[in-house]
Amino acid sequence: MGLFTSINTAASGLTAQRTRLDVIADNLANVNTTRTAEGAPFRRSRVVFRPRVSQPYWRSPFLPAYLDNGIGKGVRVVKIEKDFDAKPRLVYDPTHPDAIMSGPEKGYVEFPNVNVVNEMVDMISASRAYEANVAIMNGSKNMFLKALEIGRV
Amino acid sequence: MMFTGSFGKTIDILKRSMDVAVLRRNVIADNIANAETPNFKRSFINFEAQLKRALDSEKVKPPRQFITDRRHIPFYRPIDYRTVKPRRILDYLTTAKNNGNNVDLEEELMLSMQNQLLYQTMITVVTSEFGRVNMVLR
Repeated sequence: MGLFTSINTAASGLTAQRTRLDVIADNLANVNTTRTAEGAPFRRSRVVFRPRVSQPYWRSPFLPAYLDNGIGKGVRVVKIEKDFDAKPRLVYDPTHPDAIMSGPEKGYVEFPNVNVVNEMVDMISASRAYEANVAIMNGSKNMFLKALEIGRV
Repeated sequence: MMFTGSFGKTIDILKRSMDVAVLRRNVIADNIANAETPNFKRSFINFEAQLKRALDSEKVKPPRQFITDRRHIPFYRPIDYRTVKPRRILDYLTTAKNNGNNVDLEEELMLSMQNQLLYQTMITVVTSEFGRVNMVLR
């Protein structure tokens, strides 16, 4: 446990929320991209967060000390994955160059599964979390600056 | 009276409490960094209540007892406050969000602010204690 542990922890939170904001920006920028290099419409991405020090799997007030992993060291981004759960949005536009040519969905265009409202809400949540981490960082700085005054009379 | 170091009990208790304040800050920083992590559970530090219990136990007047042999067990033994260690507790029973996370950002920020002010107060007290020693020296 050191003086700068809390600052490093807050920094990990800043990095994670920053990555999340970048991914949201990418999703929003591609909200109408109907064709990507792979051919299919754009799929929204999402970030997966994990604690840096995993919490004990057994959750009990009587946990022996050796099963405890100690104080957490912040958060990390494990991966950025494509969301294949939500289906693409279908819009009827037969004159569109990416319109489906045959089958029951003839004349429909597959638009990305990006929901603008969801992304905006996520963006607000990410920026609030970022601000909270900044507040922790500034607070720690003030605390340690104050601690420097101990020797001074 | 038991003295620890050259400045007595006040400084020793303050030192311990300040160490706990830094530890608590680390825990709060971890909670806030993981505010959006699925299935993360917040933890917190329990220290002051136990410290108070130990300090109160020193004030209790034990019943009269004559110890005439080394092997006699005393009726009452106060808790030494130096043995009180901060305990980290995982709050695993509650859930606040859909993703199994129970970190409340506002609450954590409030706790961090409280902790910060407490730390600064303790530093002011330590400074004034040393100032008093300095006054005697002059």
